[in-house]
Parts: sequence; C-alpha cells; structure tokens
Amino acid sequence: MAVAKTLEAPIEVYRFEPGKDAKPHYDRYTLTVEPHTPVLTALLRIRTELDPSLTLRYSCRSSICGSCAMQINSKSRLACQTPIGPEIEKHGRLVVEPMRNQPVLRDLVVDQASFWKHYDRIEPHLKLDPRHPMPEGKPNPMTPAEVARFYETPRCIACAACYSACPAVEADADFPGPMALAKLYRFVVDPRDQAHQDRLVRIQTDGLWLCLRCHLCTEACPKDVRPSERIRDLKELAIAAQGGTEPGSRHAIGFKENIRERGQLQEMKLVRQSDGVGGMLAQAPQGLRLWRKKPEIAKKPRAIDDLDQLEALYRELDAPPRDDS
Amino acid sequence: MRRHEVVVVGAGLAGQRAALAAVEAGRDVAVVSKLHPLRSHSGAAQGGINAAVGAEDSIDTHIYDTVKGSDYLGDQDAIEFFCREAGPTVVEMEHFGTIFSRAPDGSLARRPFGGAGFPRTIYAADRTGLALLQAIWERLATEATRFTLYQEWDLTRIVVRDGKVQGIVAFDRKNGRFEGIAAPAVVIATGPSGRIYARTTNAHSCTGDGVAAAYEAGALLKDLEFVQFHPTALLDSGILITEGARGEGGILKNSKGERFMSKYAPHVLDLASRDVVSRAIVTEVSEGNGFEGGFVHLELMHLGKERIESRLQEICDFCRNFAGIDPVTQPIPVYPAQHYMMGGIGTNAKGETSVPGLFAAGEAACVSIHGANRLGGNSLLETLVFGKQAGIAAAAFAAQAAGRPTVTDSDVDASQAPIRAMMARDHGEDPAQLRAEMQATMERYVGIYRNDADMLEGIKRIRALKQRYANVRIVDRSQVYNLNLTDALEVGHMLELAEAIVVGAYARTESRGAHSRIDYPKRDDARWMRHTLARKGPEGPELSYSPVAYTRWEPKERVY
Repeated sequence: MAVAKTLEAPIEVYRFEPGKDAKPHYDRYTLTVEPHTPVLTALLRIRTELDPSLTLRYSCRSSICGSCAMQINSKSRLACQTPIGPEIEKHGRLVVEPMRNQPVLRDLVVDQASFWKHYDRIEPHLKLDPRHPMPEGKPNPMTPAEVARFYETPRCIACAACYSACPAVEADADFPGPMALAKLYRFVVDPRDQAHQDRLVRIQTDGLWLCLRCHLCTEACPKDVRPSERIRDLKELAIAAQGGTEPGSRHAIGFKENIRERGQLQEMKLVRQSDGVGGMLAQAPQGLRLWRKKPEIAKKPRAIDDLDQLEALYRELDAPPRDDS
Repeated sequence: MRRHEVVVVGAGLAGQRAALAAVEAGRDVAVVSKLHPLRSHSGAAQGGINAAVGAEDSIDTHIYDTVKGSDYLGDQDAIEFFCREAGPTVVEMEHFGTIFSRAPDGSLARRPFGGAGFPRTIYAADRTGLALLQAIWERLATEATRFTLYQEWDLTRIVVRDGKVQGIVAFDRKNGRFEGIAAPAVVIATGPSGRIYARTTNAHSCTGDGVAAAYEAGALLKDLEFVQFHPTALLDSGILITEGARGEGGILKNSKGERFMSKYAPHVLDLASRDVVSRAIVTEVSEGNGFEGGFVHLELMHLGKERIESRLQEICDFCRNFAGIDPVTQPIPVYPAQHYMMGGIGTNAKGETSVPGLFAAGEAACVSIHGANRLGGNSLLETLVFGKQAGIAAAAFAAQAAGRPTVTDSDVDASQAPIRAMMARDHGEDPAQLRAEMQATMERYVGIYRNDADMLEGIKRIRALKQRYANVRIVDRSQVYNLNLTDALEVGHMLELAEAIVVGAYARTESRGAHSRIDYPKRDDARWMRHTLARKGPEGPELSYSPVAYTRWEPKERVY
C-alpha cells in the first residue's frame, strides 16, 4: 500500500463537566495523523499522549457497538468511522462535540436515558398471540423475500446519531425519534410478530406523524438503516391498517386527494381534510390573518392543463408495485 | 449495600442468557455491565453459530470436528453436551426474534466454516453476533421488572469470605461511587481479554476484568496459554474480517500470487482450522512471500459484487471505511491478530468454578470445549449454551444458600483505598504507558510462535510491569465518568492475566493447537494431554494440572 502523507491536524474538543465548570469550553490539540486516521483514533491518542482526562464513550472501533456517536464538524457521526483528512479538507478545521438532544454528563459523554426510554416505549420485542404458538422445536419458516422486507433495519447499532440529528426530537420530547420508529418498523414487518395492527394503530397517535420528513436521520445513520424511509413506510402501513384517524394521517391522505382534483393545492380545503370542520373553526383567526395578506388562498385554484397525465401518474402509484427483480 | 440473589457481571450473550435463566427460575437478579448491553462485544461476532441440523449433517460430526479442532484438549463429555444443545439453542434464538439469513425454501441458511466437515454455520449476513445480541436483549428486557440493570458499572472485586461468595464491589461510572452488591451467587460473563495484546480484533473494553477478579478471589484459571490468533484481521487496525469471507469462497494469496494454503492444508485449503491458517500466513511472510509491509491478500473479487455486497455487507463497509479499499475490485490486506482466549475461569458444564457460589460462562470461562483451538461458529453457541447452564446453576445455588451474604464497608474500602492512593500521587506510572508496554511484550514474546528464551524474557518483563503498576497514578481526579481511573483498573487486571498466560505457556513444553513452540514442535500426549490450572499465589501463578475428559474420540494426528 502507498505510504500515506501525514498532516498536522488541529482538533478542537468540547469540554464540560456540569456542576464543576461554569460553562463549556473547547480545548485545542494538535496531532500528526494520516488522512485516513479515524477521529476516534485521534481522540484516544489525545487521551494517551496529551490529556488523560478527556472523556468519551467508545469500545469496538469498528462501527458495530454504537458507542462513539458524536458531533463532528456539526454532523452526527461515529468517530471510529470518520477519517480526519476529508474533514479538515472540507471544513478547514475539526470540531468535536457531544451528541445533541441529550444532556451532557461530561465532555463527549451524554445521558442517553431519553433515547432508551423511547426505544422501550415501542415495545421492541416479538409480541405473540397464544392462538398462534411458535412451531415446536423448529424455526419459523421465513423466505428471503420476507427477510428483504426488513431492509437494513437489522443493522441498527443504536448509536443514536439519528436521535442527535433529529429536529423533531429537539422540538418535541414526545417524538420517539428515528431509531425507535425504525425499530418499530422492524417489528411491524416481522411475520412472527402478532401485534402489527395494534402497533400501527397505537403509533398513529403516539408520535408517528410528528416526523418532519427532513431526512437528516438518514443522512446521519452510519449503517444505512435509512430511518426516514422506514418512517414513511410506517405511515403507509398505518394508513392501510386504520385509515386516516387523526390530523397527521388525514393530512397525508387529504394532501394526496387534494392535489389529484386540480393538480394544485387547495389550501383551505386541506385544513378541513386534515382537521375537520371543528379544527377549521379553531384555526379561523389564523386563517383570517393569512387571508388578509394572501386573499388568493380562499379561491379555488384552476385545474392544470394536463390533468389527465396527473391522473395517470396517480393510477400508476396506486397500482401494486411491480417486481423488478 | 445493595442486595440480590444472583449477580451477573457482563451483559453480552453469555451474561444475558444467564440472567434470563436466573430470572425464569424466579430469582432476584442484578446485571452489572460496563457497557449498555447492546454495546457488548458479542455484537461484533460476524460469521455465525454452529448447529448440526437437518438430515445431511450429524451431531456426531459436529462433536468430532470440535474435538479435533481442540487438538484433543477439549473435554469430550462437555463437547457432546454442547453439540446436542446446538439445535435447540438456535431454535430458541429464532423464536426470540433473531433475524437469520434464509435459504430459498425458508429454512435457516448455512455456510461452510473452517475446520468443519459440513456447512453447518447458521448466520445473519456477516453480523450474526449483533442479530443474536439484539434478540436476547429484546427477550430479556421484557422481564425488566424482574432484574436490575447496573449499566456502566465496573467490577472491582468479588468478595469471598470463609470460602463462600458474598457478592461484588463495583463502581458507577456516572458518579464514581463504589458500592457493594451482596448475593450468594455471582456469574462472571465479562467476555474477552484480548486487549492484553497489541494487535487484537477485540474491542477496547475487552480487558478481562471478571477473569482477573475471579483469579484474585481464589478461583482456578484454566488453559490460559491457548490464545487464538484470527488469520484475517485488517492490516492496520486489526479489525476482524470474518472467516465467513473464506466460507463464501474467499481465498488467501501470497505476493507470488500463490494460493499458499495448498501447502499447509491440502484437503481443505483456506478453510483449515484458525491456528493452522494463522501459522501459514506468518510462515509465508517470514519466508519472504508476503507483501511489502508484512501481510498477505484475502481475495473476494471472483465472488462477484452481488454476492459480496449481500453476504458480506459489514465487511464491505469495514474495508471501504477503515482500509480505503473496495473488496469487490481489490484484495484485502490481512495478517493474523489476537482474537479469542480459549482459556479462562475453569468451570464444568454447569458453569461451576472452584469457588462455591461463583459461576462463569462465555469467553471469560473455560469449560473446556475449545481445548487448544476454537472452531469458528462455536463461540456464539458457547455463550448461549453455557450462559443458560450457569444461570440455572447460580439460581439453584442461590435458592438453597444458607446464611445471609454481606459486603461490608471494609470490603468496599478495600477496592476504593488503592484508587484513592492512585489519585493522591503527584508522580507515578501512567496506566496507558504500562498498557502499551504490556501489549508490546505479549505480542513479541508470547505470540503465534513461541520459544523458551522469548517466554522467559516475557515473564521478566511482565513482572517488571507489575512492580511498576504498584506505583500507578490516576491524573484525572473527577468523580464523573473518569476513564483514567478505568484505564488504571483495567491494566491492573490485564497484567495479572498476562502473567498467568506466559507462565502457563512457558511450562507447557509441547505444541498443541494455538500454543506453538518452535523448540517443542510436536504434540506430546503422554505428558501434556492435560489442562493447566493457575491459582494466584503470593509470588505469581501457581500451576497444577487436571486430566482431559474422554468419551469416544481417540487422539489422532491433526491434518486438514
């Protein structure tokens, strides 16, 4: 292998011990590293060569234990999986901070209690029905196609990078977060689980629709679990299981039907579709304010020219998926 | 003082399975672990779990392969029990929710593994450990009201009084508090101690804390000199490349482009036993057939992109992220690295140790089923089979234990006082420096090929490090998540085990399985068909020996 060039890497690390330090500060360390040196290796070298008091979680150093998620140049990443060179190249610096959305215990170590609480809340275990016992002394049959329905959710290492990246978690402590919802998806597609319907009905009012669809979780996930896509799948499964039962799912269904009619969004109608007449009245003062600024919202938009093409598109999307394999 | 009926230390597969068994037996259980259970090193196991199921395979063949793989040092009665439990264990884990890879007919998929006469390794892509760890935690967590999890607590000692277990002392990383947890039965399931070596596939947390604490508490350690080096670890980082890569058809090549395993194992080639393949790689490199920098190539390219990316997904990520190469188009640079300790706390098949009330299971224990060399796919199985047995035995022991065990303030202080002294020093030894020197010593003097002079030097150096450890200093004085303190404790544990490894290895004047001496190249059944037992004495390990249990399998020369 080619001999790698080394670089002098300045590393700025967040330091804070609540109860002892008045506020956080950043310590700056300089190390000579190779461009492919992972951030974790550099942090451990800081611990052994420069400052043994630097505190972080780490264990496997091979992206399978989920311990070392942190903010690296403001992105939620695994330190063991993030090489230093490209970070310095792109940002001109390397700033390492604790994960977001979880209180700091010390330096890069955060309290993960809320993350695990949400994980427990989705009941992450097979729920069985005594009327359908497991086959005695034998594994359940499961085809490779059924295994494929899990997508990459079994790869989740519970590192919480998605939880750290999620603005909905930041906005609402009741939002289960991407990991818990991806885990829920994993049980909802498991042919051995007997509680799919109950799980889907419950999650409709238990945070599913609080997802903002920003996909930052999918960007943050080091294992390609793609939580936002699984949340989307959960929403579809929830509507299929129960229909539109509350504003979130009604909004999604309404949006789809709304656009289908004229090819343009009819905003007033969407409020009624999502929130019902009562909800519409409750939002009337806000609606009036909006109407003063933007009177056209009250008008029905005209239908677009190629409405037939849109209809064809809708029919295509409604049809059962073709097997492309 | 806290009080429970069974304390399980370690929350990987073995610890969790033990805890589940003890909970199911109705005991009040504590699970103490320095990591969240889902971050345990069991999750790093890649290749699979062995079970002879289906008409074409047989349990007898699994037993024979394991006995032969052990180089006839495994206890055959325990191995027979172990292989019979394999099928039910895998089925149980499937019922708990493990997502295994499947064959087109919906049955559990199987792949060939080293040293096995049949493709009997059941797997979940190349993350079988993670799949099992998730499933056992999902199952155990449903019993959350019936056990207490002490998460991110570090074990410092096992308290034994009048020959009886009283409980443990541990400290809570979050606040630095040392506390006693009293219990009549303690199960040690703290896993590996591979960080004794410089190059290891093991996680940073694999420091043998429970094994060292058991040794300190008077338990006999067994066969510690048998250290498995995995043939294919990534060159720079030592990150594991699963044997499943060869099971899927990967081949090893030297710098001349030769498939060199044909010289060392003409029948099974790249799928010979791990000790055989590791020695072959070291020999090739030392004879000048390695690549510059000292390594060989593991080639997967001929398997095709689709197969590599679906069956060896994690391996693809490791190679791309940690070595900057793409296994679909490029060979993987590999060299052996420490991987597994065949030895550990001596137990029988029920997990009982030489100390009443103390049990052990998983890699921390030595039953022994792996003897002098473990077969791939047998360690995940071991954690579950013997974790369950240890949990059952500990629960039964606790249910019948007379008297009320206590961990006194002075027991706690016995753990805390040395830490206070380490923190009070203005000058002293740096634990990280001691660790680095220990790791280099073990790598250089007690590695894959061993000899008398090297090991004598190794003993001398490890003992010198132990003396320096008496003056170790903790610089960080914080009570919160003090990793400097953890470093100091861990290196203390590892130095004790390092000494026991090298003293046992020096005494064993033969070559068997992973213990390979150039000055004694032959296996010597007349003198050495026996287990090494080490007890901690005032001057270091005191060795004794015990016979190997036989049932049906006569020792033969081991050829692959």
